[in-house]
Amino acid sequence: MTARRLDKGGRIDRSRPVSFRWDDKTYGGFGGDTLASALMANGQTILGRSFKYHRPRGIMSAGVEESGAIVSVGAGARHEPNVKATMEELYDGLEAHGQNAWPNVRFDLGSVNGLFGRFFSAGFYYKTFMGLPPFEWGRGTGIWMQYEKLIRKAAGMGTASREPDPDCYDHVHAFCDILVVGSGPAGLNAALTAAEAGRDVMLVEQDFELGGDYINDPGAEAERTALIAAVERAGVRVLTRTTAFGLYDSGVAGLVERVTDHLATPDRHLPRQRFWTVRAGATVLATGAIERSIAFGGNDRPGVMTASAARSYLNRFGVLPGKRVVIATTNDSTLDVACDLAAAGAEVVLADARDNADAPTGVKLRTGLAPLVTHGRRSVQGVTLASRSGSAWAKASREACDLLLVSGGWSPVVNLSSHRGAKPEWKADLACFLAGPTEEPIHMAGSANGIWNRSDCAASGVAAARLAMGEQAEVVAPGGWIRPIRPVYEVRVPGTKAKAFVDPQHDVTADDVHLAHQEGFVSVEHLKRYTTLGMATDQGKMGNVIGLALMAEALGREVPAVGTTRFRPPYTPVAIGALAGRNVGHHFKPLRRTPLHDWNLRHGATMTEAGLWQRPWYFAREGETITEAYIREATTVRDTVGICDVSSLGKIAVQGPDAAEFLNRVYSNAFAKLAVGRARYGIMLRDDGMVMDDGTTWRLGEADFLMTTTTTNAGRVMVWLEELLQTRWSDLRVHVTSVTDLWAGVSVAGPQARNVIAASLEDGTDISDGTLPFMGVAPVTLKGGIQGHIARISFSGELAYELYVPADHGEEMMDLLWPAAKAAGGCLYGLEALGALRIEKGHVTGAELDGRVTIDDAGLGKMASTKKPFIGSSLRQRPELTRADRPCLVGIFPKDRSQTFNGGALLCATNKATGFGEGWITAVTHSPALGHWIGLGYIAGGHEAWAGKTVTATDPVRKGDVAVEIVSPHMFDPEGARMHG
Amino acid sequence: MADGLSALHDLLVTGQSGVSGPAGVRLTEIRARTVTQFAAWSGTVAQAGAEAAKAAGVQTAPGPGQAATGANGTLLRVEPLKWWLISETEQPVMLSDELGATLDVSQSRSWLRAGGPQSARLLNHVLPIDLSERAFPERSVASTAFHHVGVTLWLDAQDFNLFLPRSFAASLCEILIETARQYGLEIT
Repeated sequence: MTARRLDKGGRIDRSRPVSFRWDDKTYGGFGGDTLASALMANGQTILGRSFKYHRPRGIMSAGVEESGAIVSVGAGARHEPNVKATMEELYDGLEAHGQNAWPNVRFDLGSVNGLFGRFFSAGFYYKTFMGLPPFEWGRGTGIWMQYEKLIRKAAGMGTASREPDPDCYDHVHAFCDILVVGSGPAGLNAALTAAEAGRDVMLVEQDFELGGDYINDPGAEAERTALIAAVERAGVRVLTRTTAFGLYDSGVAGLVERVTDHLATPDRHLPRQRFWTVRAGATVLATGAIERSIAFGGNDRPGVMTASAARSYLNRFGVLPGKRVVIATTNDSTLDVACDLAAAGAEVVLADARDNADAPTGVKLRTGLAPLVTHGRRSVQGVTLASRSGSAWAKASREACDLLLVSGGWSPVVNLSSHRGAKPEWKADLACFLAGPTEEPIHMAGSANGIWNRSDCAASGVAAARLAMGEQAEVVAPGGWIRPIRPVYEVRVPGTKAKAFVDPQHDVTADDVHLAHQEGFVSVEHLKRYTTLGMATDQGKMGNVIGLALMAEALGREVPAVGTTRFRPPYTPVAIGALAGRNVGHHFKPLRRTPLHDWNLRHGATMTEAGLWQRPWYFAREGETITEAYIREATTVRDTVGICDVSSLGKIAVQGPDAAEFLNRVYSNAFAKLAVGRARYGIMLRDDGMVMDDGTTWRLGEADFLMTTTTTNAGRVMVWLEELLQTRWSDLRVHVTSVTDLWAGVSVAGPQARNVIAASLEDGTDISDGTLPFMGVAPVTLKGGIQGHIARISFSGELAYELYVPADHGEEMMDLLWPAAKAAGGCLYGLEALGALRIEKGHVTGAELDGRVTIDDAGLGKMASTKKPFIGSSLRQRPELTRADRPCLVGIFPKDRSQTFNGGALLCATNKATGFGEGWITAVTHSPALGHWIGLGYIAGGHEAWAGKTVTATDPVRKGDVAVEIVSPHMFDPEGARMHG
Repeated sequence: MADGLSALHDLLVTGQSGVSGPAGVRLTEIRARTVTQFAAWSGTVAQAGAEAAKAAGVQTAPGPGQAATGANGTLLRVEPLKWWLISETEQPVMLSDELGATLDVSQSRSWLRAGGPQSARLLNHVLPIDLSERAFPERSVASTAFHHVGVTLWLDAQDFNLFLPRSFAASLCEILIETARQYGLEIT
């Protein structure tokens, strides 16, 4: 191939020279070039190495179907493999490298693989290495498991960067009446027709220029320009550099817009790519068609490309791709190519497989011929043609050339309609698949519907738009060539050894397809998986039709009888970053911060995640470890006072005249007669009788309750209550509203709790035991007029209060409470200390209420009313749930009090550490009050059944076995004297 | 009671950022207001709506997906049985138990106003609803999702108004600010 840039012509911007690097050397191009066109203009012929045989590959096309010029672009964290040079827009400073080669694509030691090519047939690895004789003859895959690692290491194309992606990506939602994919003659006309009729239209083009086929024809420029101007005037929303990669349910299309990939120095505020989710009322697919090759010997040699690609390089990029050109064709589409190349000064031979064909003036015509095998060392230097001999081919003559263009026919891009289940249907007279019928509002137009004539394409675009608008339209019939195509899929004569590629990207040859047939494969799906035909980024664009045709021929059937694979999204690869959008790092999930978040951080909190919430874990003093910190905090709470941010607890306003009745049905214990100003601890069950959640509910008024839930289950409980009200008890006049975010809440716990709070209240507010007894609730006013609620409830087992104020006043509340607590020798405490305190008391949380636990298992059976029905009241009495040997909540001490044990360990009878054991440990902590490690867990029969017996906490993958004692879960102050004091 | 501290107090720093040129998006937090929820029973929608309308100073309560602005504030229909009254003063109006339930939810939401020529485009980065003038004209209201979090959106005569659950507000606002910078962002 002796390509050169012409002095004039093309659509490139010659006033904008561009410098780029290819394999560490600097080259020049122009604005409007692709990497492929610029490399071609610089005389670079070998741009890649093939997947398996490491054969040299050059530019084979000018579009997304490229299978030769697959390169790596960028450096460092922005290194991206498997970029098609034909789609990479050139920009100043672009850096690209060849891949799958060492030391480089021009001289690749890996090409030694080609010497053993005859052995690397389909299924080679499995046939050779599975059950490797004589070691594993006919049995086992042990050695394969080792070989596989080496094979996998050798396989693959390119290497992704291991560094984090430095770019940002966006998600965008868009809506339109009609989405038009593709901006060729059909797409532009479809968009214009719909927009002029008042429809909201989006037009999507994967290229950086609008026009599709117009772009490659200088004679059509005026028509293209006029259409684009009209489209813009009509208000069409146009997205270039945007690929519609998939169609989904209900008119949803997935698009990827490449925002800055083509910019040398993009603004740092711009995303690299945008992932669009478009919801369209109807979709017009004017996605064009892809020219396909023919399987013949050496059809992958650099200098062999599709015929239309040469026209693109000539007319769009101003590059004459060869001086002596042979065009091997089966159809009329190459006439313009031959004409333009000859006019540009190339010596052109048109080898037409048809017997009756024409050629433009200045083009040498040879009919009834097809390419048999190419010749040349580093690039094509000649081609031997073959003529038809009955049903076979016979070697004919040899033509010298530096560029061989091939047109085996055209494959309409039906991928997107196939995503929606429209099965492609074979059109024998056009030798291609067309989109099958679909019930969805998807309309094919242009060459995507097998229409080869530009004016017909334009008319089909108009018709598709009308159909998309629900109007009547005369459908343009597929076809358009003067002489029919003569389908040619493979050219071979007996004794030919050169490889004929069907799918060059995956090194699948015609021989592989024949071998698959010989070995009994008949299904196209099996053919695909056995040979890897149509896999990888190509997804069947280049080779599918040829592979199917060869299989059909081998089976003696027609192509439709062999079938076709359904295309799946994405049409072209989509970066993982684009899928993730901005939902990465700390935005992977939305973060929830309490109103006291910043205050906690300013006061030394180390935060931890509790679901989506950020909660204080512990407040370490300088030099303290987490263990030292939480033990100090828990000790301080027992000795004086501590303050803990509990804003994340779920809070639900339950309002209405039937609210008490509603709660009475939801909770296992009675709520109907709960007095105003009182709180009650409640357990709610699921329908199946298992515990769902627990918490306190405060009666603020006759028809006004505040339910609290665990942090974890807040959303679930809210949804559950809504479901009950909307589906079961719609007669109840009750509304539930999540007010979790409304309040900043703290727990003030410890012997000094009352004094600390009293010091923070407006003068005269009484929270003495007489006014506010245990489980009492009252409105309260803090200094500064901050109004809130106080409830005397305790999770720690100490004299404790929960104090809630409106969220915006949370920090003011802390600024009142903390000085008072500090003066009393108190502390701030986090989740770790909270856990220690509650374990000492045997209070349950989500660790214990894990969905497998009944109210009796949790030791709370007395809270299940026998005087009223409630959710789960029937099914909790199933025999399996009332067995005496069910695991019940217990406390756990190490036999040797100096020892520790782990949460998650199994509890087993001594010397019977088998199976699931007798129970499990849910939570452990060092107990400051008891001076040794303790735990909570479940064990069959409860603590009475294991009194006086030693149990083994077995933890084989971490700590090993520890002898433990089973005790009551109420390990500290079981009478509750401290919290009632 | 003083105003207290917004969940967005350290995020919304006044000034311009992002790409150069005129700001495409303007973000403002609205602070001084109350949000009162009026919830009707299924059989009292008309009567409760009338009470809510009276509280707002409008003729009739807006239907689903609609807002109405009166002398005392703006009434948003946020759910089939619920309205929010956005006003600058606390609302003394309470529905009787027979008509429905009233709840002050002011501090459960952070109120962010998004204006400027690219505001709809910005919001469509995070909201999966059609914000075109045709589909979402002035006085439209929607309950939708922002990064899987339920939010309420209302379009007034000038700007979009976004009510974010307070605990999520900072996290969601960070995403909004990062995204807005590509259009030029002005925080006022």
